[in-house]
Amino acid sequence: MLDAAGNGTQAPGVRAVSTPAPQSGFAPWKDKTKPPIVRFENVSKRFGNYTAVDNITLDIYEREFFALLGPSGCGKTTLLRMLAGFEKPTEGRIIVNGKDTTGMAPYERKGVNMMFQSYALFPHMTVERNIGFGLRQEGMAKDEIAARVAEAIAMVDLGRFATRKPHQLSGGQQQRVALARAIAKKPRIMLLDEPLGALDKKLRNHAQFELMRIQESTGTTFVIVTHDQEEAMTVASRIAVMDHGKLVQVSTPGEIYETPQSRYVAEFIGEVNLLEGKVVNIEGGAADIAFAADGTIFKTRSIDGLAKDQQVWLALRPEKVRVSLDKPTDCPNSVAGKVVDIGYLGSITHYHVQLPSGQKMTALRANAAHAVERTVNWDDDVWLSWPSEAGIVLTR
Amino acid sequence: MKGRFSYFNATSIALGFAFLYIPILLLVIYSFNESKLVTVWGGWSTKWYVNLLSNEGLLSAAWVTLRVAFLSATFATILGTMAAIVLVRMGRFRGRTMFSGMIFAPLVMPEVITGLSLLLLFVAIGFDRGFWTITIAHVTFSMCYAAVVVQARLFDFDKSVEEAAMDLGAGPVSTFFQVTLPIIAPSVISAWLLSFTLSLDDLVIASFTTGPGATTLPMKIYSQVRLGVTPEINAISTILIGIVTAGVLVASYLTRRQATREDRERRAAVA
Repeated sequence: MLDAAGNGTQAPGVRAVSTPAPQSGFAPWKDKTKPPIVRFENVSKRFGNYTAVDNITLDIYEREFFALLGPSGCGKTTLLRMLAGFEKPTEGRIIVNGKDTTGMAPYERKGVNMMFQSYALFPHMTVERNIGFGLRQEGMAKDEIAARVAEAIAMVDLGRFATRKPHQLSGGQQQRVALARAIAKKPRIMLLDEPLGALDKKLRNHAQFELMRIQESTGTTFVIVTHDQEEAMTVASRIAVMDHGKLVQVSTPGEIYETPQSRYVAEFIGEVNLLEGKVVNIEGGAADIAFAADGTIFKTRSIDGLAKDQQVWLALRPEKVRVSLDKPTDCPNSVAGKVVDIGYLGSITHYHVQLPSGQKMTALRANAAHAVERTVNWDDDVWLSWPSEAGIVLTR
Repeated sequence: MKGRFSYFNATSIALGFAFLYIPILLLVIYSFNESKLVTVWGGWSTKWYVNLLSNEGLLSAAWVTLRVAFLSATFATILGTMAAIVLVRMGRFRGRTMFSGMIFAPLVMPEVITGLSLLLLFVAIGFDRGFWTITIAHVTFSMCYAAVVVQARLFDFDKSVEEAAMDLGAGPVSTFFQVTLPIIAPSVISAWLLSFTLSLDDLVIASFTTGPGATTLPMKIYSQVRLGVTPEINAISTILIGIVTAGVLVASYLTRRQATREDRERRAAVA
């Protein structure tokens, strides 16, 4: 993470809204009649006593840009490597395109190709020969190989480097060769293992949009593994958040951000304020929650299966919390606190506010107006407020 | 500290090199001796090299030695490379520790014991001793050296390169010949050169496993020296030294070139 503050809070919110959907209304996972292109069926993978992947069932659909997201060691790479055929599931089946591929070797899996984190370019071959390698294995005619290689090289804009060896290329160029080499095979499913992990931030942002462009223009299903939540939000049509070998939540970037289903997801994606409390009243679609610290009642939307007296957490995104010097009269929820820190980031300002209980909350304010004079300052007693539809009730 | 001249260091280096190389230098110089007496200098001449050409015994021994060295180096390199791949690539399998121990044991095994045990084996199975028994014996001991050299290279070989080849549709055999072998080729060649050199100058194991009609050059030299050193021996020894030196130089050049290239690649990747 380059700039923890900026990365953690601002970007996902902004990105989530601007995420370009592959096509408008593209949501094959909602279509019950549509068969998935990849189906993991109760897949587990154990290495000795260590369970890397724990009973995962997951469907991925054609033309999706699917992200497996989680911290290192959460099993996301193992899941991808099982799909590629480098690891064999201990239990369960992997069905690709309606066919059980569980025991198949990588070179028997037609239409599934992988781009490696280390790029894994062949050091003794030129860029052209690297990209043509997969086509030569198919025994394709020479002129056809040349045409496909040229097409792939043009796609990643490497024309000038076609006759160079990998060690004569920069990291970004190597990354494009690796991409072109897999794409040249015209796979139906493209697997990407931390494809942009070795690039610097600026190059990475550019490369993300390149990936999206190629994914859309080729109509390939992309499955990407990443630990970078911002990257997943940017590129993916759906994200599977993983933790300790299990799927925690599988949703679109917008849903993951706006309606996380657990504290783990809420905290992993972006920044969040979590207020612990107890359900005291449920009425229609609304619920009242008593704040554990001082019994203040928070009004919020209810969720399915919520019970009275249940212990819950109210998750609030910082940009949905308003800071003011006076107690707002137009807002059903507010807490008092003292400003302990202000982070001015140009476009936005972070306010870190300590509640009487000692808990800290963060509020974001976009600096829309030219405000050299700050109305809220260090050590000011302020009110934090939010509307009843801003928070999400989490039960775990 | 670095690069500072000191008389102590200079003296130790001079003494060390003198100790190592003066005897060899003397041998080389005396191979150009005009005089028939080995210890008396009689002026420069290349006549002993010319004489060599008509010395049937030495020439046939040299021919046997080259054939043994070529064959045993080739087989030792193939077997050693296979062993190295199994040890590095197959992960932890049952008996891996024992297997790797058994591969490397002959490195420290006294040659006399290796030779004697091979002799016993050949006698026991009734194998006629001669050219092939020497070759097999040389494969046995130089294979370990080949395995060590190739294994060192395989350890810092990015396994995902092989995985990428398989992912792109190449089967295991195809992957080995198209990707793995070209990448480790320099170390395989240096393994071959090392095995070749080891076979070329082996006396002990060859003496144990030889039979009638198969006399290697070191054996021939040794037996002739017992009758007295002739300038011809000096000449053939000089040639032997030349071949061995060339082999070692090429092998180390290949290893070094590979190291510098990898270094450059790594730096380029970071940049």
